[in-house]
Amino acid sequence: MKLLDMANKYGKATYNYPFQPYVVAENFRGKPSYIYENCIGCTACGVACPSNAINVKLNEDKTKLVWEFDAARCIFCGRCDEVCPTGAVVLSQEFELAVKFDKNNLKEKGELDVEYCEVCNKPFTTKRLISYNLHRLEKAGWNKETLDKKVHYIRTCPDCKRKHKVEVITQYLKRGTK
Amino acid sequence: MKIGENLINKVKEKIAISDVYRQPEDQITITVDRNDLPEAVRILYYDLGGWLSSMVPNDERQINGNYTLYYILSMEGGKMTPDDEIVKEDKCWITVKTYIPANDPTYPSVTLKVPAAVWYEREAFDMFGLTAVGLPDPRRLMVSDDWPEGLFPLRKDSMDYRHRPNPVDHKDEPEHEFIKPEGAGVLDVPLGPLHITSDEPGHFRLYCDGDTIIDADYRLFYQHRGMEKLAENRMNYDQMGYLAERVCGICGYAHSIACIEAAEKAIGLEIPLRAQAMRVICLEIERLHSHLLNIGLACEVTGNVNAFMHIFRIREFSMELAQLVTGGRKTYGNVVVGGLRRDMTGNEIKQSLKILETIETQTNEVWDAVMDDKNQIKRWKGVGILDKQVARDFSAVGPNVRGSGFKRDSRYDHPYDFLTQLDFDIPTEDGCDVFARETVRYKELLQSVSIIRQCFEMMPGGLTVIKPQTLIKPQAFAIGNDEAPRGENIHWIMHGNAQKVYRWRCRAATYNNWPSLRYQFRGNTIADAALIVCSLDPCYSCTERVTVVDVKSNKSKILTHKDLKRYSQSLKNHPLKNL
Repeated sequence: MKLLDMANKYGKATYNYPFQPYVVAENFRGKPSYIYENCIGCTACGVACPSNAINVKLNEDKTKLVWEFDAARCIFCGRCDEVCPTGAVVLSQEFELAVKFDKNNLKEKGELDVEYCEVCNKPFTTKRLISYNLHRLEKAGWNKETLDKKVHYIRTCPDCKRKHKVEVITQYLKRGTK
Repeated sequence: MKIGENLINKVKEKIAISDVYRQPEDQITITVDRNDLPEAVRILYYDLGGWLSSMVPNDERQINGNYTLYYILSMEGGKMTPDDEIVKEDKCWITVKTYIPANDPTYPSVTLKVPAAVWYEREAFDMFGLTAVGLPDPRRLMVSDDWPEGLFPLRKDSMDYRHRPNPVDHKDEPEHEFIKPEGAGVLDVPLGPLHITSDEPGHFRLYCDGDTIIDADYRLFYQHRGMEKLAENRMNYDQMGYLAERVCGICGYAHSIACIEAAEKAIGLEIPLRAQAMRVICLEIERLHSHLLNIGLACEVTGNVNAFMHIFRIREFSMELAQLVTGGRKTYGNVVVGGLRRDMTGNEIKQSLKILETIETQTNEVWDAVMDDKNQIKRWKGVGILDKQVARDFSAVGPNVRGSGFKRDSRYDHPYDFLTQLDFDIPTEDGCDVFARETVRYKELLQSVSIIRQCFEMMPGGLTVIKPQTLIKPQAFAIGNDEAPRGENIHWIMHGNAQKVYRWRCRAATYNNWPSLRYQFRGNTIADAALIVCSLDPCYSCTERVTVVDVKSNKSKILTHKDLKRYSQSLKNHPLKNL
């Protein structure tokens, strides 16, 4: 009897979902939303993702860097949000993932232009990342002249940089022995 | 004098100890010869008041050419009588370690002296091929019945984690042997393959004389996923906490905390106070959530659907609380080595305190209403009795053992994180039946609410996460413990090279409770079978069909999930009537 009284006291406990939206908390961790304009292709999110929901890799003909997200694998931990330097991956309040019937609806994709190495002509990073770095250096107080000198260095892949350094050192050593 | 020194001296009087290792201070590892192993464990268990918390078999052939066994005992006193307890300062973990040569993988069985070791030793054979000589029940436990002979998955050289042996046709699958009681005739009622209260796989076989169960046996682990193997092979410490969460759908957070704490303790890492307080809050939210679920289900199994609905309405508030604290409706995806990922704002704390109040008042209201219902109490009282001695012998944990009058709780015996600064009770009941267990759960709910409130009020400032500067030490190992809603969770981690784990042993709370369930079934009616399993609050993914057998007519019947539940709720139309 007491239990029935309680039902009258507290009234309806259910929502008319999905016709009435479910209100989530302010800092709710929902599906990560991808803002293409902000992405620089630094692959930090792909490295941080513990469940491999985010994959960042080159496409087959190595002309684009493909950012891929699979919501079915996501565990909503928010590590990607944490590491992203430009705010391109932000956790949204969206949680209705099961209602989309096609499996491909769970996937998100973004393609970024690739930057080729000035020495060996291999793709090593994205155009956006280079311009982002140049912009950051300019803001850090580098003047135009030093930047122009260094641009070539910035546009070289890490392997070529390493080779170049080895060459410089060996030359230096040879000179030293003479 | 160091912690546990006098306990070790007492063992030394009778048994030769070759090595004593401490990591950290209250976790002592003693090495004994394998022939002395059963005696050493028995002395610690019965004479000195230990409880068997876990057993870790390990393949250390790469390190020292041997297999090793670690029997982890929680030294907290026998607790059969109130003054039978060790003083708080002397409580510690003692691990009995023994080497087993690789060319002769056998050891004398501890089960003959300490019954609690039975499941652990069966598992040691399944996973590592270490044979316990004299083990009374050498059947398979973890791997399926059609698993090839001589393939032991957790040996380092046995198989790739992606490899699965070829499946056997269903008709060729070997039948699992159940232990049958002797009698004039047996009626075999299989219950399953789906479980009656929580729709999870597990095969029970109940042996009945008329309506009374005289014995029971079960085959579980239909859902064994090989997480330990997966973690050893490809996970790093960043991913492991999240994997540990997936052990269980309800007490997952407790698993990740135990796992991460084991890794932290092995390298001696201290986390910030604010993170400690928030870890305790999340663990207690999980307890609110789980206990409300179980009390609700215990009402529903006996047909009191009205109370079930009300309790589940309150349970919704605990999810809202979790949403405020962690950002998800479950407390998942939050723990990393070195602290917690997410901080709380002051506004969120205010809202949480408001929700706590609603949970407290409404739980009290519903519990009072349930207590007024005489039919409900009748179904709970005197059902599924867990005898004190049985609980002691099988090292039961959680509300199961507290319902039998033991004050045994990981938060109280081995306080972790912020709990040393908090003020709380460990409620116990002496009824030993379903009613006692549900009462313990209700009282614990109120304690949880008070713990969360204290944490919010005392919330220290500062960071929630530190970057672990200490490097991983290969071969350092430690125990991580915490009190999940179902009881104590023990994780044991040995660090390996390259930020990977060498061996991760995860022991869920239900694992220790299953072996004693058989004794709880005896003497009860079939209608109460579902209720007894429910009061254990079983967790199938951590560990997991029912057959009812009539001993007089030697007939059996397989009950479906619906049949048994219907009989339990209505007590009409006996399922064995028309045999």
